[in-house]
Amino acid sequence: MGQGTPGGMGKQGLPGDRKHDGGDKKEKKFEPAAPPSRVGRKQRKQKGPEAAARLPAVTPLSKCRLRLLKLERIKDYLLMEEEFVANQERLRPHEDKSEEDRSKVDDLRGSPMSVGNLEELIDENHAIVSSSVGPEYYVSILSFVDKDQLEPGCAILMHNKVLSVVGILQDEVDPMVSVMKVEKAPLESYADIGGLDAQIQEIKEAVELPLTHPELYEDIGIKPPKGVILYGEPGTGKTLLAKAVANSTSATFLRVVGSELIQKYLGDGPKLVRELFRVADDLSPSIVFIDEIDAVGTKRYDAHSGGEREIQRTMLELLNQLDGFDSRGDVKVILATNRIESLDPALLRPGRIDRKIEFPLPDTKTRRRIFQIHTSKMTLADDVNLEEFVMTKDEFSGADIKAICTEAGLLALRERRMKVTHADFKKAKEKVMFKKKEGVPEGLYM
Amino acid sequence: MAADKNPSGSAGPEQAPQKQPPSKEHKKKKDEKKDEDLSDEDLALKQQLELYVERVQDSDPGVQKLALESMRQEIRTATSSMTSVPKPLKFLRPHYGTLKEYFEKMPESDLKKYLADILSVLALTMSAEGERESLKYRLLGSEGDIGSWGHEYVRNLAGEIAQEFQKRQYDDMPIDALMELVQQIVAFHMKHNAEPEAVDLLMEVEDLDLLVEYVDATNYKRACLYLTSSSSYLPSPDDILALDIAYTIYIKFEDLASALRIALYLDNIQYVKQVYTSTEDLLLKKQFSYIIARHGLALELDDDIVADESDREALQDIVNNAKLSEGYLTLARDIEVMEPKSPEDIYKVHLIDGRASASSSLDSARQNLAATFVNAFVNAGFGQDKLMTVLSESSTGGSSGSWLFKNKEHGKASAAASLGMILLWDVDSGLAQIDKYLHSTDNHVVAGALLGVGIVNCGIKNDCDPALAVLIDYINKEDTIIRIGAILGLGIAYAGSHKEEVRSRLSQFLGDPKTPLELLVFSALSLGLVYVGSCSEEIAQSIIFALMDRSDTELGEPLTRLLPVALGLLYLGKQESVEATAEVSKTFNEKIKKYCDVTLMSLAYAGTGNVLKVQRLLGICSQHLDKGETHQGPAVLGIALIAMAEELGLEMAVRSLERLLQYGEQNIRRAVPLALGMLCISNPKVNVMDTLSRLSHDADADVSMAAIISLGLIGAGTNNARIAGMLRNLSSYYYKEAGHLFCVRIAQGLVHLGKGLLTLSPYHSDRFLLSPTALAGLVIILHACLDMKSVILGKYHYLLYILVLAMQPRMMLTVDEKLKPLSVPVRVGQAVDVVGQAGRPKTITGFQTHSTPVLLAAGERAELATDKYIPLTPVLEGFVILKENPDYRDDH
Repeated sequence: MGQGTPGGMGKQGLPGDRKHDGGDKKEKKFEPAAPPSRVGRKQRKQKGPEAAARLPAVTPLSKCRLRLLKLERIKDYLLMEEEFVANQERLRPHEDKSEEDRSKVDDLRGSPMSVGNLEELIDENHAIVSSSVGPEYYVSILSFVDKDQLEPGCAILMHNKVLSVVGILQDEVDPMVSVMKVEKAPLESYADIGGLDAQIQEIKEAVELPLTHPELYEDIGIKPPKGVILYGEPGTGKTLLAKAVANSTSATFLRVVGSELIQKYLGDGPKLVRELFRVADDLSPSIVFIDEIDAVGTKRYDAHSGGEREIQRTMLELLNQLDGFDSRGDVKVILATNRIESLDPALLRPGRIDRKIEFPLPDTKTRRRIFQIHTSKMTLADDVNLEEFVMTKDEFSGADIKAICTEAGLLALRERRMKVTHADFKKAKEKVMFKKKEGVPEGLYM
Repeated sequence: MAADKNPSGSAGPEQAPQKQPPSKEHKKKKDEKKDEDLSDEDLALKQQLELYVERVQDSDPGVQKLALESMRQEIRTATSSMTSVPKPLKFLRPHYGTLKEYFEKMPESDLKKYLADILSVLALTMSAEGERESLKYRLLGSEGDIGSWGHEYVRNLAGEIAQEFQKRQYDDMPIDALMELVQQIVAFHMKHNAEPEAVDLLMEVEDLDLLVEYVDATNYKRACLYLTSSSSYLPSPDDILALDIAYTIYIKFEDLASALRIALYLDNIQYVKQVYTSTEDLLLKKQFSYIIARHGLALELDDDIVADESDREALQDIVNNAKLSEGYLTLARDIEVMEPKSPEDIYKVHLIDGRASASSSLDSARQNLAATFVNAFVNAGFGQDKLMTVLSESSTGGSSGSWLFKNKEHGKASAAASLGMILLWDVDSGLAQIDKYLHSTDNHVVAGALLGVGIVNCGIKNDCDPALAVLIDYINKEDTIIRIGAILGLGIAYAGSHKEEVRSRLSQFLGDPKTPLELLVFSALSLGLVYVGSCSEEIAQSIIFALMDRSDTELGEPLTRLLPVALGLLYLGKQESVEATAEVSKTFNEKIKKYCDVTLMSLAYAGTGNVLKVQRLLGICSQHLDKGETHQGPAVLGIALIAMAEELGLEMAVRSLERLLQYGEQNIRRAVPLALGMLCISNPKVNVMDTLSRLSHDADADVSMAAIISLGLIGAGTNNARIAGMLRNLSSYYYKEAGHLFCVRIAQGLVHLGKGLLTLSPYHSDRFLLSPTALAGLVIILHACLDMKSVILGKYHYLLYILVLAMQPRMMLTVDEKLKPLSVPVRVGQAVDVVGQAGRPKTITGFQTHSTPVLLAAGERAELATDKYIPLTPVLEGFVILKENPDYRDDH
């Protein structure tokens, strides 16, 4: 949300020092001076809630004894901390007291609380807020609100009568983005992919390995690839492979379709992209999969309508997120398209997308494999000779093969047979091939 | 193990193949289904391998041999991807058991060894966890070139060796065969840029000595770097061993400056001398002397080291820091900060809006005292200022002491002593200027002047010992303050020198039960400083007796807390040596017993990173006290002192201190800011700065004052604008409270220490070496600050001058072969940890190019930006001698 209102941020950033100073003086008047918050707050957007409590980085990334020793040292300290905290808790149970405090705070907050937006911070204890209905108010901030987390533009809780700030709404993640997270792994695994061995290996090297074994890259002294693009004819298994990746990885998998990034209002698309990558960064290690990237990633040209311009802006944001000023840590990107030639060259340059993986139409071997996968659960008559279809000259994609199998099954069903015969397959094939040519009979205009 | 069974098995090699086929057939049937998934080449390969497996079991040795050869060929040529097991290995997996069985039955022969080799490789993927079959077959095998099976194999083997070694050691079995293999592996790793792995393996098998044989000129640096950085994390005897090996390697490859660093780290005079005698190059010896001078080691060069009289004098001069002042002033002139600054320039009152002008209204004596200190800190070592020296030169006559007499009583002592600080390191003119105060009629002025004499001589040694000559006469004067001045002066001037004359004169005070307490404390402190880290039994005894003799009320005095510190200084960083004394300290009076115990431990383990001690100290902090005991403060400081040894511990300690702050009671919370200050001294880390800033507004006065001083400590000598801004705000926030304001002023002075040219960090040489005298000075200040109100804010404010021990220019000054300053371009940037990284990574990042002399901030490193010269030391800090590069060719 912070990035959403750059104007507010800028204004806030400048007078930080002087403002703080003023706050000091104000507090001096009330006798028991409460410690003011730190100087120069708000400008720095801290990454994650406990940036301060984050553990130090351990340097040699390759597996060696020094790394082990260093990690053990950190563990020792953490154990000591744990012991200390446990001791303290045992000696001085906090529960009752904190419970009491909590109820007191709840009383002060009142209920219900209304939700509003922080427009601007005036000084340590005052702010301008607005509620969703309209007018803006100058209100005070209660002392128990964590002022370090207040920043212009954030969602706050307000007292229902006096409208003073009584709390902060923590959850900043755009609900649009949280939907993209793949919670349940898809069922397709690498075993369900016929052929595509080279493609699987490439995607593993480019996407999975950097997340699981970063030291391999460190050892050899290169930066792992940031992302890959999968391209090829429709139905050749691009999305399937992405599903398999999602199935096998323990990293967070975010999936978006290019068209989802196109939004109704100006600026919403780029914002969504930003949000997407921010969430990916927070949940890292993570893999972002953008299907049908050609929806936003087409070549730039002089656009006449605002809509097209907006789409291009969305792409520019995407470019920036892929290889912009901020480094993407453990976020890997997979793009998929079947029209790679129409994509903007800037999107595909090395550094943004390091690997381009082509998905060709299956060759005979792969075809055989795909047929096997699809027919393995079907009851086939003895006369079925799949080799005939495997060896055919017609161009099939993986999806076509699946369609043939399904069609053959349907034909068998229609005739109430329990087994699928060779004739069914033949008919199904013709039907599928016919449909594929857009229903235009062969040789009509010849 | 397997070899034992062979005789019985050798009877039936013939039957073996006949028995096999049926099971084989059976297996094949099952496999057939799976085979369909394979591509043609794979299928062919698989069948081929199966054929080999069968042939291996053939009765004809010729066929066997051929099969083994081709199998080996297949495995070796298989190129694998990163993600999967090589295909031949995959296909041979089902046959592993078969081959193993057959192997047992084979007669002893070359072929058997061949097979063992292959089995060893197969075991890489097959052997169950903990069985170490790869190693077993390797030992039975032909002992051919180990690298031919690929890196992963060697790596796996190394892991198994480590396990096997432990087991064998436990069972007391011979390890000769293992060691042979270890040698092979180490040689392989060393050839293939995997020094860390080689070192790891040798550490596992506890035979680091072997490393010396295997390193060569190309990789010894990386190996040694790995060793030295591991050493700070290794348990106790191993770390010394690792460093010893590193030292041996450096000596072997004549990287003597690096060897010297290790020798200094080990605090081993023998090694230091060996480094000197290993070279004839006088220039190199001069560089050594510079390094030793920075470390503050009192080294007497003798005939063995340098034969020639005049050369020896030149070297001794460098070791004695005689030229430090000159170099420092060169730096100052180059950076153009010679212009003296007044305290007002530091306070920058005009930047505070509002009520600023009102602040001068109260307690002008304390204001002036603060100004004295600020003036002394800011102009330290420059030889000129706007309060003390300037007026004496002007002809207004009589006004020379005008600033001096704006101070009251003991304030005058500090004012006079500040002259010493301003003239720091410049012995000749310093003594001349201070001399006139020595003849003053005011006892306080004389005392201050005596202290000033000591300060001027801090870290500088001189053959005629001017400080000793001047000060020794005064220590038996009647007035206590004069005696204190002289004693403290001696302590500062001869810190770390182990000077016998000082001991003989000062121990008399310790032995005499009638000595006033303050005199006793200062004598003990001075002795502690002079004999820092010496483990001197004699002095320890006398301090212990003094502690035992004193009455309860005297032990209750705030100043008494420095006595255990003095005792601890004798054992600074000496770890176990302290134990005898620590035992004795348990018999002390209740009041001081625990304080003493904790202090001794924390000082003895200071700078070691010993986690167990940190744990004990944290344990002490987690107790809840009811009787108003004070020993938790030193425990908190102890955590900082121990943990500051390495970066990781430092950061984790900052975290732990945060917890202490959360749960601790007042006496712990008071010490936490000081501990933070110690951890990040002269290194303003943003998170620590934020914490301290928060604490500086704490409701408890002691906590806030400690936080303010610590803000000064973490920013010491950095001119950090953010800290300066915070302090300015604090000065207006606390304008009514004299104590706080004084602390703010001191902190301001510290931030601008030496106008930003000095550092207080006791670590130097790439944060590797710890200067004991610098640490000693800091420890005393920290303990004094634990009771701010009665020590620093009371009449012992001159203790602050002990900080001078830790002051060192944070410069990099390059000199030519005649030791004249030489300006060359250097790159200065953030240091990068390059240990164990592949290739030749950059050692600094985000660098800027300057020309020397330059300033180095905490965590920064410099490297030469020109090939024209070769530095004589690998770590570019302090004085660096440059030699012309004979291979250099100018492009133009």
